[in-house]
Amino acid sequence: MSRGGWGGGGVVPVAMVLLGLGGWPTGAGAQHLTVAPQAVLVDYREVSSGLRYSGSGFGGVATGHHGKLSAAASVVRLTLDPTDQSTAGAGFKATQLDAWVGYDVASHASVEVGILRRTADPEFAAQSLGALRLGVRSTYDLGPGATVSFRVDYLAAPKFSGGGRAAFSIDLGLGLDVRLAGRLHGVVDYAFERVNRKTNPGGTGEIDAPIQQTLARLGLGIGF
Amino acid sequence: MTTCRGGGLFLLAVLAPAAGRAQALQNATLRRAQQAYDNLEYRQALAFGQAALRERLAGAERARAYEVVAFSYAALDSILKAVDAFKQMVLIDPERQLDPNRVSPKAYSAFDVALRQVLLVRQLRIDSTSFVAGQGAVPIRFMVTQPARVVTRAIGVGGVGGGGGWGSAANFLVDSSAWNGQVNVSWSPRLPNGDPVPAGSYTVVVEARLGQNTFSASQQIRVTHGRVDTLPHLTSLPGYQYLPETEIPAQTWRPLGVAFLYTGGALIGTLGLESSSLGASSKRELGVVGAAALVTGFVMTLRRPAPRPAEGNILYNRLLTEQIARRNADIAKENVARRQQVQLTIGPSLKTGAPR
Repeated sequence: MSRGGWGGGGVVPVAMVLLGLGGWPTGAGAQHLTVAPQAVLVDYREVSSGLRYSGSGFGGVATGHHGKLSAAASVVRLTLDPTDQSTAGAGFKATQLDAWVGYDVASHASVEVGILRRTADPEFAAQSLGALRLGVRSTYDLGPGATVSFRVDYLAAPKFSGGGRAAFSIDLGLGLDVRLAGRLHGVVDYAFERVNRKTNPGGTGEIDAPIQQTLARLGLGIGF
Repeated sequence: MTTCRGGGLFLLAVLAPAAGRAQALQNATLRRAQQAYDNLEYRQALAFGQAALRERLAGAERARAYEVVAFSYAALDSILKAVDAFKQMVLIDPERQLDPNRVSPKAYSAFDVALRQVLLVRQLRIDSTSFVAGQGAVPIRFMVTQPARVVTRAIGVGGVGGGGGWGSAANFLVDSSAWNGQVNVSWSPRLPNGDPVPAGSYTVVVEARLGQNTFSASQQIRVTHGRVDTLPHLTSLPGYQYLPETEIPAQTWRPLGVAFLYTGGALIGTLGLESSSLGASSKRELGVVGAAALVTGFVMTLRRPAPRPAEGNILYNRLLTEQIARRNADIAKENVARRQQVQLTIGPSLKTGAPR
């Protein structure tokens, strides 16, 4: 079984570049900058319906907007436990990093690139994943200080700690940023991730080992 | 005799004030002539009047004596002699005017004939006026009783300079033409180089010449200089007002609709992408975020929409500002010219020259 460490390829340098880009607006007089700690709800499934986990976590998110450029970065620490219906014997912890850099191509539409990196602890308790994001995002102002967004990202070049490949991987999300009072913002985000991973254990032929995760981030942040 | 009585009746009205004046007359003979006339004793009035004329009289009393004689002749139907007496009267007092409603037609016609038989310049009037130098003129009106060559001049008084410069008497030719009857001329008080005439007193002299006969009348006027009023700058154009540059859009259900659309998209996407082998995913996460989006959309639907720029009004205000700036630039330019102009005010002087 090939264990192609996803961090050993070109993903990490790309991720560092993107994160650098993501951090740029904050230092360049971004028009909108929000930093928020977050609570996280997560549901994770892998390989079969029997391997399912549910949990929560915490993290933080920073978003910025400058002209037609926008960027966001989120890091969460998750604690996942097997559900009642799960056949898994033990839970695990995971750290997930997401980053996007977007460019507005129309009044309500932008294209974006980014990275996704999730590491599991213990390492073999679940698949660690790294991928590039290529997608589009639609953003709409619901009213003064309230913005809703919907995004669809293709997860390109995914790498798994347990090896394998995924010809089709997608991540879609629903985001909401509401100015509650003054600089206080409520930032919530939903992400659904589906990775059609296939492995070829022992060279006997490919088998499906899909990964599916739903994630909700709920945060209160400060807007600048 | 009937005519005499009729004329006397007419003259009663005219001479009623004269009865009072009779007391003020210095010359005793003239006073008796006036009293005789007042008593409708025209022959006696004529005799006393002629006797008074042979005496030494001041100008006004001499004119008065000729008037009594003229009216007496008119009452006695000696029109030609009345005309002669009136001629003498108007030569002494050319401004004397009879009211045709208050004197007898015979006397008035005799007076009228007399006026047309002597060369006079009467009723010289110069109205007060004010204008920017070079853009107005002083109106001068007078009456010439016979066709004559009339020369009108304005002469500086008290060393007011003119075409010859300061120190020499200014002499401006206003008009030189043949006139008869009512005459209206105008004087543009400017020096040959275009500058306004210096401030000060001027005498407007009207001289009429017919053969060897000449007659002149004059009137003093005062010319003062002043600044021309400048125009105030505009802050707005009459009838045009600035419009608000933001407008509040109408309240709609669009925020809630968009929240539904986006949440629905996430839900449909989630349902469509779920792996059959992994089973239905948890909807807890989507439920939390979707509910937040829907509540936010609903709240935003109820809230007053945020003002948004009104592009049309912004453009209109920009045009209005440009228009006001353009008008103010024109006003500034005009004010520069106005500050170099002189406002001339022409006022009559109380002193009026005697006719010669």
